[in-house]
Amino acid sequence: MSLFWILLLPLLGTVVPLLTDRFGRTACAFATAALPALALVLVLLQVPAVFDGQSVVATLPWIPLLGLELSVHLDGLALLFAILVLGIGLLIILYARYYLSDKDSMGLFYAYLILFMTAMLGIVVSHNILQMWVFWEMTSVSSFLLISFWNHNSDARKGARMAMTVTGLGGLALLAGVIMIGNIVGSYDLTAVLSSGDLLREHAAYPVIVILVLLGAFTKSAQFPFHFWLPYAMAAPTPVSAYLHSATMVKAGIFLMARFYPVLSGTELWFVIVSLTGLTTLLIGAYTALFKHDLKGLLAYSTVSHLGLITLLLGMGSDMAAVAAVFHIINHAIFKASLFMAAGIIDHETGTRDMRRLSGLWKYMPYTATLAMVAAASMAGVPLLNGFLSKEMFFAETLDQSSLGSLSWMIPVLATVGTAFSVAYSLRFIHDVFFGGEPEELPKQPHEPPRYMRLPIDILVALCLLVGIWPALLIGNLLAVAAGAVVGGDLPDYGLYIWHGFNLPLLMSALAMTGGAYVYFNREKLFTFQAQFPEANANLIFDKSVKWVMKHCARFIDWFENGSLQRYAFLLILLALVLLGLPLIDLNTTAGLRPQIPVDAVMLSGAALLALSSLATVIWHRKRLIALLMLSVVGLIVSLAFALFSAPDLALTQLSVEVVTIILLLLALFFLPQSTPKESSPSRVARDLTIAAIFGGIIGTINYAIITRPLDSISDFFLDNAKSGGGGTNVVNVILVDFRGFDTLGEITVLGIAALGIYKLIARMGLFKPTSDDDGRPWTEDKHPMMLSVISQGLLPLALLVSAYIFLRGHNLPGGGFIAGLVTSIAIIQQYIAHGVDWLKDRLKLDYQKVIGSGLLIATLTGLGSWAFGYPFLTSWYDYWTWPVIGEFEVASAIAFDLGVYLTVVGATMLILANLGQHTTTERARETEHQ
Amino acid sequence: MQHWAVLPILIPLLAGTLMLLPPLAGTIRRQRIASLVSLTLMLVGALVLFRLSTQATQLYVLGDWQPPFGILLVADRLSSLLVLLTTVLAIGAVLYSLAGDDNRGKYFHSLMMYQLMGVNGAFLTGDIFNLFVFFEVLLIASYALLIHGGGKQKTQANVHYIVLNLIGSAFFLFALGMLYGTLGTLNMAQMSTRIAGLTPGASILAEAGALLLLVVFGLKAAMMPLHFWLPKAYASASAPVAAMFAIMTKVGIYSIFRVHTVVFGEQAGDLAYIAIPWIWPMALLTLVIGAVGVLAAPTLRTLVANLILISAGTLLVAVVLLNTQAVIGGLYYLVHTTLVTGALFLLADVIAQQRGQASDRFVVSRPMKQAPLLGLLFFIGAVTVAGLPPLSGFVGKALLLQAAQTATEMGWVWSTILLSSLAVIIGLSRAGTNLFWHVSGNKTGTDNARPIQLIAIAFLLLASPALVIFGGPATEFAEAAALQMQQMYPEVQTLIAEGQP
Amino acid sequence: MEAIFAFCVGLMTACGLFLTLRGRTFPVVVGITLLSYAVNLFLFSSGRLLINGATILGQSDQYADPLPQALVLTAIVIGFAMTAFVVILAIRARSDLGNDHVDGRNPPGAGLPSDRLKEKN
Repeated sequence: MSLFWILLLPLLGTVVPLLTDRFGRTACAFATAALPALALVLVLLQVPAVFDGQSVVATLPWIPLLGLELSVHLDGLALLFAILVLGIGLLIILYARYYLSDKDSMGLFYAYLILFMTAMLGIVVSHNILQMWVFWEMTSVSSFLLISFWNHNSDARKGARMAMTVTGLGGLALLAGVIMIGNIVGSYDLTAVLSSGDLLREHAAYPVIVILVLLGAFTKSAQFPFHFWLPYAMAAPTPVSAYLHSATMVKAGIFLMARFYPVLSGTELWFVIVSLTGLTTLLIGAYTALFKHDLKGLLAYSTVSHLGLITLLLGMGSDMAAVAAVFHIINHAIFKASLFMAAGIIDHETGTRDMRRLSGLWKYMPYTATLAMVAAASMAGVPLLNGFLSKEMFFAETLDQSSLGSLSWMIPVLATVGTAFSVAYSLRFIHDVFFGGEPEELPKQPHEPPRYMRLPIDILVALCLLVGIWPALLIGNLLAVAAGAVVGGDLPDYGLYIWHGFNLPLLMSALAMTGGAYVYFNREKLFTFQAQFPEANANLIFDKSVKWVMKHCARFIDWFENGSLQRYAFLLILLALVLLGLPLIDLNTTAGLRPQIPVDAVMLSGAALLALSSLATVIWHRKRLIALLMLSVVGLIVSLAFALFSAPDLALTQLSVEVVTIILLLLALFFLPQSTPKESSPSRVARDLTIAAIFGGIIGTINYAIITRPLDSISDFFLDNAKSGGGGTNVVNVILVDFRGFDTLGEITVLGIAALGIYKLIARMGLFKPTSDDDGRPWTEDKHPMMLSVISQGLLPLALLVSAYIFLRGHNLPGGGFIAGLVTSIAIIQQYIAHGVDWLKDRLKLDYQKVIGSGLLIATLTGLGSWAFGYPFLTSWYDYWTWPVIGEFEVASAIAFDLGVYLTVVGATMLILANLGQHTTTERARETEHQ
Repeated sequence: MQHWAVLPILIPLLAGTLMLLPPLAGTIRRQRIASLVSLTLMLVGALVLFRLSTQATQLYVLGDWQPPFGILLVADRLSSLLVLLTTVLAIGAVLYSLAGDDNRGKYFHSLMMYQLMGVNGAFLTGDIFNLFVFFEVLLIASYALLIHGGGKQKTQANVHYIVLNLIGSAFFLFALGMLYGTLGTLNMAQMSTRIAGLTPGASILAEAGALLLLVVFGLKAAMMPLHFWLPKAYASASAPVAAMFAIMTKVGIYSIFRVHTVVFGEQAGDLAYIAIPWIWPMALLTLVIGAVGVLAAPTLRTLVANLILISAGTLLVAVVLLNTQAVIGGLYYLVHTTLVTGALFLLADVIAQQRGQASDRFVVSRPMKQAPLLGLLFFIGAVTVAGLPPLSGFVGKALLLQAAQTATEMGWVWSTILLSSLAVIIGLSRAGTNLFWHVSGNKTGTDNARPIQLIAIAFLLLASPALVIFGGPATEFAEAAALQMQQMYPEVQTLIAEGQP
Repeated sequence: MEAIFAFCVGLMTACGLFLTLRGRTFPVVVGITLLSYAVNLFLFSSGRLLINGATILGQSDQYADPLPQALVLTAIVIGFAMTAFVVILAIRARSDLGNDHVDGRNPPGAGLPSDRLKEKN
């Protein structure tokens, strides 16, 4: 269980700095350090167990279906990295305490830092590879925050985004790789994965997996060609560079390769990709580093090259190489972290990191200088320092490997060259900064840093020496277990001595030393040579390419979603056309077996009229009034058709809706132009005609095919139960108010909502004043015609009577609430037309909104009534209300429901028309005042 | 007699209606209270329904008419979950609106309620024509809500939105005609059993109907190339409305799932999974177009609107993969994406307000008044939608990736999903850095966001950690729901069988 | 007769769709209305055509399928609500955007009547 605390403590630690920030910097720093320190103790407590080779695992279930569980373990590799992460992390906390200025929010910085620490720790101690990926991505996110900590300068922002993009890409690739491994192995449990190496290597998907996993590793560890983001991550505060970009995060990729080494390595593919990438990175990094004038830039590229070195070792495939790799991981972490911190001190105390201005600092900060020089020497691989030992191992391994077949001899040679360059830039670091004359006008007067700011470096440099002198004693066991975990088996016996006798590796070191010295002292030539090449600024290139992508995306979207409804509608119809049309190709016989109705002259002429008027609507659609008239003719014939085909209710409804719709459209024409400009290009018209015609054809065909086929439907039930169950003889009406009353409830709700929405539309309408139609004819100012007003006044009661009649008989004969409602509305509208809005306002005091509301309410409550009797919503009261005396209750519920419908219809229709009509009149009133 | 299944429809209907009548009509304060009360009731109801559905599918026979003749509500695990989800989202949106958005025009709360009624109805109904009715309810409510607050852009976006959807509704009715004209029933469960028995000719006509339905639902789901209405509409709608709309595309996807993988499922003979081959390419293209849109977006609102497209595409992929794992992933992802994109719409509004002139455009601006707080919220939201651990996005994504089984599926699904995630990462990191860090001058003089607004956002964002911490139970529920869906409403079938003499 | 009926439905659909593809709001509205007529006839006929039948019990010995009729009734009402909304929206759009083009902007070199109005606002 204590294993979980190793992760949990730092996680809790992320909030500590935020809370303790206000108690001053030192307090905050110590509080922050407390929990990670505790975690480190817990880790160290496990050391004996790990050294005994016991498997230290703890697991909790999390998301079984995903194969994700909380699973923490400590094997040799995990132990090594855990110590690095926590140990160096603590030093960084101390260092940052002095490094950060008062302007920076210390709490926030520490919070990000600890968040990253947790994530990194999570990667290394994960026993479930999916969980490992989770933490992997968390390092990307937290490093984004850390790099952009000084987010006011644009380099920080850009650098952060670049790192995020590159590592994000890698992370997604890794996810794919991890899931593939999981699919093949059948589990994400590390033990299971590590034990199925052959299974994976022989699987067809192996190459894909290797490439995906390596994509993750290379992006994270800044391997060529993804190395470019690392130097720009140096925009981060130096503690971050020291921690993430030298000691830990960039090692995550290495860790990943080491973790999967037992299962993925051992094939030609792996060797070729990994070793070549490593070698290339090693050389490019070492060479570029020499030309960087920025201290941190130099260190960044040197990091790149050392990571390449480790990668190369992991690509060689010999167990000994793996040992060397692990050894160098440790050494590089130690000396590089200290170098970064030293660079930070120099930057902090002199105000610049430019080596062209820095020089002769020895005089001002001898102590720091000594430390930096020792560390740099270790980086160069000078004997008696840890860097030397792993470099010797490296050389030895380059000599006995054959991953490139007959070309294998190149590797040692190039390795020596690379090392020579690392010697050269180490020399430059030492010589340029601490010697070589006086510094040139530094922003600050340089002096030694505060005692405790230097302490971390003291410790690390001491380690460089001690490890360099007594390697076996100090880290022998750790190295052994870690390397053991990497090779996943027994290690070859090797000796960690300072002195291996005179041998090729030693010779190579000597060559590298002298070569490096030579290169450095003749650097001027090299610099002038390098100066011919324009320095490629990856940041700019990256920025440009991202901008390019975005620009073209934007261009594409503008072209594709060009805001033309006509295109959108066309595509919608086209898709429907395709999906409808293709099945019909298989429809051999259109006509079904159902006996068809004989044609007679009346129908024929009706059909002809229908067809003609529809066409006329299209042909004259630019003359809007005429189009409207034609449309009304169509509607009229449609309602006749309903009547003809035994649907009286539909006929009535269609008719009344028709009237209201036409009135509405006429009103609309008052506000809209009366004619449509001729703007569609002939091709557009042709296109639309074609697609419309084809679609119509398809619909017609389908319709014909359907209605000529027999149908076995559920409707008989309605005919049988309408009277007995619904208590009405008009089956359609019974369906509406009873069988499918729920639909009707929804339907009138739609009507009500529409009215509300329309009210909103009109209420906010900016008023414009069409005083004349488009041909300049002024709208008439006449009073409302006498005749009309007189007649309609007489008509109103009659109309109301009619609607009442239609309403009441609805349940048994054509009619019902809806039609009645429309008739009523039409009658009222007529009054508006006849007398004008104002006249009616005084007489007809109706708040249509309330009418709608009460209508809906009545309908709903009627439905709810049945609850009282323990029946579902909308159960009509008829079929169980047994007392014969009050038998008429049978109708009650249906009528009440229909009343709701009636009221809603009246309310909605009037709310719509009255409001709009009002506009027309107020408009004109105001207009006349203006004149 | 238990009425839980119908409550999610009735409560909002009643609430919305009562708000039109005295004493609620006219005074925004009372309407707010009423709205909150009814939302609370709905939450309780939804939770109870949710619990019940895990024991047994809740069937509600409206009007006490024996199915398939009457209309039937089916509250199984899936639909109950979606009702609960809708309610939670609505609570977030309405809470946010209390800061004043609800008073920028009439009837806001009424319309919100009707919108809820429509969405819940569409989720619950087991009758295809009733589905049409509820589609219209939620559509008309959304038309009215879209213009809430006024403004040219809203009007303009609404014209496109409505005209396209009116054509869609017409197609819906055509399709219903074809289905009823061949199958002779409207009850979805009964339809599913009748399809296989159709004569060859009729079967082709039914196929045409089913495919036309795909167009209709695809339009609602914003399936490419039917997605054009979405970006402008969502980007121009007022914040709470946009947040509420986050559920709308899901209604379309849910309908596709119900109709094209269940009703036209494996028992449908020649018409089994008839639409799936069509959905495949469109689903992937939707993902792509969404990703491109995210990279192209000039404003945060547009970006989030395109995130909706991506989620639609992802969910469609989950539908067409046709295996339990995919449905599990899809359900998990659905809950996650709905709530978080909703929250992002609200957040975008607050950000836009605090950046003054610059609004939510990705340009230099003065720093925001509450930059740190909003930054934190944005960061959480961004990490979640980008599918980065440790927040909920990655679980759904990983589940879906696992669900792709054959090599071809892997090739297509993985590449599109992963690349779109990369696009989202790039787009959001650009957005975040531009909005919060690329600043000059001193802070804008705007006032702080109202606490209620921040509460609403936080409330919705809370889903993200919750879904991760309780990932185990969540996915197990999703599994149960998925398995249930593949069983073709056994309860309904028995109910129908009882009715037959 | 079925053939003629189907032909009419098809023709109305075609006309409706063509108009909905126009560039100005009013023709689009007209088109949608026309389309909805066609839709109603189509849905109605899915219960098959019958002459001199009835849906009123006891009025005739042969009954038409009442269910589609009920559906169409609902469809008509909803269609009416939708048409009304879109019409008013068209008016609102013209007053907001100064023209009656569906995209809210006149295509270059076209659309005179609304421009005059633009200058006014």
